[in-house]
Amino acid sequence: MTKKQGLAISIATGDSRSISKQIVDAIRIKVAKGELDSGAQLPSVRGLAMQLSINPNTVAKAYAELTAEGWLQARQGLGLYVAEARARLSTEERDHRLNEAVNRFVNEVVALGVSHDAALTRLDQALRHVMRRSA
Amino acid sequence: MKTSTPIIHTQGLAMQFAGKAAINHLDLTLEPGITHAIVGANGAGKSTLFRILLGFMQPSAGQAWILGCASHALTPEVRGRIGFVNEEHTLPSWMRVEQLVALQRSLYPRWRQPLYDEIIGHFDVGPRQQIAELSRGERAGVNLALSVAQAPELLILDEPTLGLDVVAKRAFIEALLYTAEEEARSLIYCSHQMDEIERVADNLIILERGTLRHVSPPDEFTDGIRYWIAEMPFRGPDPHSVPGLLEVQRIDGLHHYLVLDTDDSFGDFLKQHGARSMHSMPVSLDRAINGFLAKGHRVPVAA
Repeated sequence: MTKKQGLAISIATGDSRSISKQIVDAIRIKVAKGELDSGAQLPSVRGLAMQLSINPNTVAKAYAELTAEGWLQARQGLGLYVAEARARLSTEERDHRLNEAVNRFVNEVVALGVSHDAALTRLDQALRHVMRRSA
Repeated sequence: MKTSTPIIHTQGLAMQFAGKAAINHLDLTLEPGITHAIVGANGAGKSTLFRILLGFMQPSAGQAWILGCASHALTPEVRGRIGFVNEEHTLPSWMRVEQLVALQRSLYPRWRQPLYDEIIGHFDVGPRQQIAELSRGERAGVNLALSVAQAPELLILDEPTLGLDVVAKRAFIEALLYTAEEEARSLIYCSHQMDEIERVADNLIILERGTLRHVSPPDEFTDGIRYWIAEMPFRGPDPHSVPGLLEVQRIDGLHHYLVLDTDDSFGDFLKQHGARSMHSMPVSLDRAINGFLAKGHRVPVAA
């Protein structure tokens, strides 16, 4: 039996990410940081929609995406749970997404004119901070 | 009552006022069971469209159907399946809330008292209060509760939160979104409030001067628009030659472009025109819609 836990996330309107994408990102981060353990139950679609004052279909869409990527798992009639930490994406898909992420990062950083080493150090710190608890 | 009949369907719909087109050959089909947000500048033709759809106005040309029935021949039975909430929230001011509720209950055979009670619970409105004593936000609440309790298959809301304070706005949106969602009601929501559109819309419809400009889920719309900042030689390419251009500004010697750019090819265009540096970023729904609608009113590039 798993205990119900709240999902402390917030969304912002006027962001360049859609609300659905913000939910996906927030839950991925929570799982990566270990703030949501595998087996933890997610709020119901309607519950999270009410918490965030948004259309329930938007939550359903975010949950569907997280489920398709293997972050969440449906249990028949019981709701959604954080999936076991395993390869959550296929190798090609992960490669593809890593490439995209690196490109975005490089584009932004180049525009900032920070030195190569300074950028790497900061990236390393940020990754360590996030990964520490999920390692 | 699950059905796949479009809630709204128009074919070649046109409406002229004194030679000026308020609706211009509009072909629109909206599927049931979701929330459609209609966005458009003032004068985009929204109000005219609703008047035609509800049979209060005859179009100059074309045809319109609502809930599968021809708009010019709506029966009282069909009208009873449509709820309409506009920004005026005009209710008979001399009545008490309970009198108004009793009246509506007698008019609508599908009246659902629990829905009324649930929605009015979001607002501080007592049954003995006189309508004239209510604030604008409270009137909006009564109006919404009355409309939803009619259990309409289609609920049309035309700028329902106009002039409401933040608290009333939030109460209104919550009452709208979380009441009886299991009924899969169809909603049409018109608003200029982009934060509300983001919160409520499954589908985004953009009207401009009576013409349909865009239909898709909101995130697909924003995905197709990007903001580029580039350092261009001289004055940059002629704005008329810039593909998908929505907006261009020159700020501190850099060119800022807002463009329709679905495949990231805009970067190649800038390179071909000698860009010395450039970067791009996604935009918010608010920014995307503004840019999209402002296209007709393009500002000339400052020297």
